[in-house]
Amino acid sequence: MRNEIKQALIAKLTALADDEVILSHRDSEWTGHAPILEEDIALANIAQDELGHASVWYGLRKELDGSDPDQLAFFREAGEYRNTELVELPKGDWAFTMLRQYLYDLYEALWLQSAKNSSYQPLADAANKVLREERFHLQHTHAWVERLGLGTEESNRRLQQALNMQWGYAQQLFVPIPGEELLIAEGIVPDLASVKERWLEHSTRHLQASGLELPINPGYQPTSRTYHTEHLWSILAEMQSTARWDAEAKVW
Amino acid sequence: MDTQWSRWEVFKQDTPNKPHQAVGSVHAADPQHALLTARNVFARRPQAVSMWVVQADDIFSWTKEELAESKAHRAESFLALSPQPSPLSSYAVFRKTSHKRSMTFVDYVGEVKARSPEEALEQALATFTDTEALSWWIVPTDKVYRSDPSQETVESWFAPARDKTYKQQQYYATIGSHVSKHKTGRENDDEE
Repeated sequence: MRNEIKQALIAKLTALADDEVILSHRDSEWTGHAPILEEDIALANIAQDELGHASVWYGLRKELDGSDPDQLAFFREAGEYRNTELVELPKGDWAFTMLRQYLYDLYEALWLQSAKNSSYQPLADAANKVLREERFHLQHTHAWVERLGLGTEESNRRLQQALNMQWGYAQQLFVPIPGEELLIAEGIVPDLASVKERWLEHSTRHLQASGLELPINPGYQPTSRTYHTEHLWSILAEMQSTARWDAEAKVW
Repeated sequence: MDTQWSRWEVFKQDTPNKPHQAVGSVHAADPQHALLTARNVFARRPQAVSMWVVQADDIFSWTKEELAESKAHRAESFLALSPQPSPLSSYAVFRKTSHKRSMTFVDYVGEVKARSPEEALEQALATFTDTEALSWWIVPTDKVYRSDPSQETVESWFAPARDKTYKQQQYYATIGSHVSKHKTGRENDDEE
């Protein structure tokens, strides 16, 4: 593998993993606080799956540069993280969390569907495995969007509010990272433009069928994964505190 | 206003050759929601190939003791509950046969055709005679909601759970290992 390709792939895997780690941690904040026990377990399960996906992507990176996934997750500063701003936004209410998870699951499932055909075999294999879980997540959050959207006036209002806030942020999922065009040319990763087309088609249909209106003014749309909201600093402070306090953490 | 969602009994099938077994219940807003939460609560780690959910109110149940009371009593309740003879319909029959293990299940045993749940019970008593039942559950077949049997759904719902060793305690060497192993390390640190 040419060095510039390898460097681009390392950056892409990091971006994929960072999204999963931060989203997983946001979801995990509901543990013990979800509206009903069954959903508490369900969301903890989703959070654990997303963390599992992060470890898949960090693992692929490790094969390329020998980096340690735990070091990357627990000892990098916010400025070194390459996640989208969407996943770092505070968890909000249940509607906010379910909508974000739906928008993300749909993107991830569609991306993986294409990444199964990657010319880089380790990525193709991983995509195949992760997709099975992502299909189930998507069914779950798809169902929640429908039920909140068509539920009560209150649930519809909250979901609409979440959509107005998140729609612009969600578009960042489809902004290629620097060097991604090299990976697309080699058939290593799917072209985000075509993933976005399908995502827009599916999400628009489902959101509208669930009684929601797409925001006319999409608002703020982040473009670079090197920029973050202030929320990333506080979530990392909490997530990394134990590891930084005692990296071995073998005695308690 | 009652804001509690209905309770649904969950039946899990571990392999294609085993019966669906009652494993517990979930609260959910509707059948599809019940199946989704059931999958999360009851199929995360163990093996499964299929799940059914039944709203608790749709289950007609009789214990062995209730049956022993008398046949006449059953006839009475038959009349009380079913004043008009209904058309013949299908009922799913579940049976519990053991108290022995900590997890004793109510197993699916088959279907009968009857005009009422009470008649379905009589059919079940006459049909499934291979072993004594401690309790019977009779459910109209159209009230049993089943997970999608397609290969894609079976894989996405059930296959990953088997591979997730990271969801098991022993995956984490520190937590799974005996505490003495770590105490030794700390004592050495203290002596330095």
